[in-house]
Amino acid sequence: MNPIIDGIQKALQLILSGDPAIYGVVYRSLFFSGVATIIAALWGTPIAMLLGLREFRGKSIIKTFFNTLIGMPTVALGLVLYLIFSRAGPLGPLELLYTPGAIILGEAVLVTPLIISIETTAIEAVDPEIMDLARTLGASESQTSLAVLKEAMNGIILGNIAGFNRAIAELGVALLVGGNIAGLTDVLTTGISMWTQRGGPDGLAMAMTLAFILLLIVFGINLTIVIVRKVRILLTFGKSPQ
Amino acid sequence: MKAWQKILVIAVIATTVVIAGTVIYFEFFARRRLRISTTTSLYDTGLLDEMKKQYEATHNVDLNIISAGTGIALQQASSGDADIVLVHSPSQEKTFLTNGYGVCRRIIAYNYFTIVGPGTDPAGITGKNATEALRSILAYGRNQTGQTKVWVSRGDNSGTFSKEQSLWTSAGYNQTTISTESWYASTGSSMAYTLNVANQKNAYTLSDLGTYLSQKETISLESLVNGGKSLLNVYSVMAVNPSKVSNVSFNDAIDFIKWLVSDAGQQVISNYGKADYDQSLFYGTVQPLKDNSPQPDVSWIRDYAFFNGTECPTEYRDDHPELYT
Amino acid sequence: MTTLAELKNLTKCFGNRIVLDNITLQIEEGEILALLGPNGAGKTTLLKILAFLERPESGEVEFQGETVTEKNAERMRLQSAIVFQRTLFFSTSVYNNIAYGLRIRKLPQSTVKEETKKALRLVKLEGSEKRSVKKLSGGEQQRVALARALVLKTKLLLLDEPTANLDPKNVQIIEEVIATINHELKTTIVMATHNMFQAKTLPQRIALMNDGKITETGAPAEIFGKLSKNLASFAAVDNTFTGTAKTTSAGTTLVDIGNGVQIEATDQRQGVTSIFVNPQDIIVSKSAVVSSARNVFKGRIIEVLDLGSLVKLRVDVGKPFTVQITKRSFSEMQLNLDSWVFLAFKASAVQVI
Repeated sequence: MNPIIDGIQKALQLILSGDPAIYGVVYRSLFFSGVATIIAALWGTPIAMLLGLREFRGKSIIKTFFNTLIGMPTVALGLVLYLIFSRAGPLGPLELLYTPGAIILGEAVLVTPLIISIETTAIEAVDPEIMDLARTLGASESQTSLAVLKEAMNGIILGNIAGFNRAIAELGVALLVGGNIAGLTDVLTTGISMWTQRGGPDGLAMAMTLAFILLLIVFGINLTIVIVRKVRILLTFGKSPQ
Repeated sequence: MKAWQKILVIAVIATTVVIAGTVIYFEFFARRRLRISTTTSLYDTGLLDEMKKQYEATHNVDLNIISAGTGIALQQASSGDADIVLVHSPSQEKTFLTNGYGVCRRIIAYNYFTIVGPGTDPAGITGKNATEALRSILAYGRNQTGQTKVWVSRGDNSGTFSKEQSLWTSAGYNQTTISTESWYASTGSSMAYTLNVANQKNAYTLSDLGTYLSQKETISLESLVNGGKSLLNVYSVMAVNPSKVSNVSFNDAIDFIKWLVSDAGQQVISNYGKADYDQSLFYGTVQPLKDNSPQPDVSWIRDYAFFNGTECPTEYRDDHPELYT
Repeated sequence: MTTLAELKNLTKCFGNRIVLDNITLQIEEGEILALLGPNGAGKTTLLKILAFLERPESGEVEFQGETVTEKNAERMRLQSAIVFQRTLFFSTSVYNNIAYGLRIRKLPQSTVKEETKKALRLVKLEGSEKRSVKKLSGGEQQRVALARALVLKTKLLLLDEPTANLDPKNVQIIEEVIATINHELKTTIVMATHNMFQAKTLPQRIALMNDGKITETGAPAEIFGKLSKNLASFAAVDNTFTGTAKTTSAGTTLVDIGNGVQIEATDQRQGVTSIFVNPQDIIVSKSAVVSSARNVFKGRIIEVLDLGSLVKLRVDVGKPFTVQITKRSFSEMQLNLDSWVFLAFKASAVQVI
């Protein structure tokens, strides 16, 4: 029990001391996963629009395909990407292995199926007549699809937040293509893994510190969503502002 | 449906920016990087973090240290994903040189492996040498019932595992065969992790001294069998051959090797851990090899880790004779 | 009068079903044209085609002399707006809903604000800009939907059952708006309705529809005059009956509409006649009331439709009548499906067509 209590004490000290190394790790986690989510959203939203708004043969096969990819084990994906980014691999000349770019791209690939799946459901839930409504008010086809997106915005936002959660909490991709290089590609999850492995007197404390911060971020985001939703409901049922 | 096309275009642009940004940044803006693939025991003890701090203060290079384990480190180097390797498995190192992937090998540090186990030492190995100890452990293990684990092995591509295999061979057993017996456990993982598993199971395991000392506070295993030629642990550095593997940072690698064998580098190695553990975790090899002392350690190093009587046969010195004066 | 739009031999199918069968129709500029017919006649589809939201399988649609094609439909839609039967909104404020079309047309913000204000004033919802549409009553929603379309000042305005299931106050407001914009802005309006009374007063021209075909077109007076020959068209319109009329000794007319139901009317008629009684002129009571109403019938409630503050009932007195009472009366009288009630209305309330 002692090492655990010891570790918790040291962890609290570390967080409060504002150690730049730790804050560097936190920043990198947020930045890499944030950019990855944005890229995943940029790729995923058009695909979700096609799946949600159009009918075509093979549509359910494609939807099932993406739904299955959601559960992809991160180490497996990490391995595949490692082989691709490696100097000996197809993208070797770009020298992306063990760079921040590799983590960003890798996590984007990981998270895209999830975003596609949730956004498609949100778009499909929109009343299809909304499209005719937009059209009759003069909207072009482009503007019509954007009107549907706007109606589905709640679901779309939730999907993106879910994507970010998955990205920031994953280990396999960041470790295998990032290499956990200090100051360059070390993030919260790879840090926790390394410090747990290193053990020793400081190892546990560092691991717990990073784990605590990671949990704070993930729970914090989810709590914020719940609160925002409740506030919105309150506002809609309260007095209408004149 | 033009809206989705517009978004896809932005997606392509964003992805290109990320890729191009990364490439351009590392090509033109960042300091040069030296990618070092290392065995986990050097990494987990924190020695490399210390080396990085010292080296980057005096050299205009970023050290990117990737902890991989000996086998993977050598493999990564051969595909060009590392510029330099730090490993501790002479047999694998020799293959690396003869296959043409490695050049300019220098031995930089040594310590000893140790067989650790529960303080009660139920298999009675204290005082024995390594091969005798393993025989006792095997006998003890075979005497146990059910799935009781008595020995925990790395079971991966590491230098430590290579050492374990050669010890079993000396003891007269085939490691592959006995690994299937019920008393033998394999973690396939790092030294620190393996020590923790052995600790949980009150079992014996082979560890490098450095990692054992760094874990000592959290585990209750004792170092029961130490020293002796059979437990010698020698760390070497090799640069990746630029003629065989393209796009590796060879000059920076040579600079780093020069630093490792210089007084500055050797001091970092020999001083590391003294403050925290009351003893050195590693010993530098450069001065001992010059002085031919302490004995019998130096003779053992020569027997165990030299190839054809030298640290690095001339054909693998790649025009850097100054490393070997 | 110039022709604004023309449908030539137009056929529309959904799958195997023919919804519009070889329709030819001209819409004159500045007129209000009513499409009158039962549910399923094809009124909605015809309106959607005029809104350039649907394309026909065969035939032509011409608008302002130009044939409407797949390519120019988007541009044409800027001149034709439809208000759907089912109210549909973007999940945002009243202001943003109404402003949507104006913003698409890239009008400056001050204009958007100004026009939205005017439109809301017209439908008597001044100051409602910030309200959320989901919290409006049914009638208010329909008025906002109307404002949203008319603010665009399109040449053609299409209304699908604009006052169906609304209480009298909202019906009146909307009918006034329709009349106003036709009169002031000279907007051409085509509206689908199955309310005969509305069809009599608002439009200048009526087209009868049934089974995907237009059976007759003409001014209301013409159509309702010929009505007796075209029973089928009116099978589903409320409170319209055809029967044999006989003058009575008291100087009124008794119309036998079958099943033992005889209706007394003040208008003099003889022979086959069609009559209409406005649901709002009928009083519902639990017991027989002695009053000046000449027409009193006992019947059973066969259908109840909840419209919020009003309840619409169908009562079978031998022939089915549609009546409207307040929700309060409905609950105070403890009425229900299958309840027995008395219907009463004056002879002067009976309109002979």
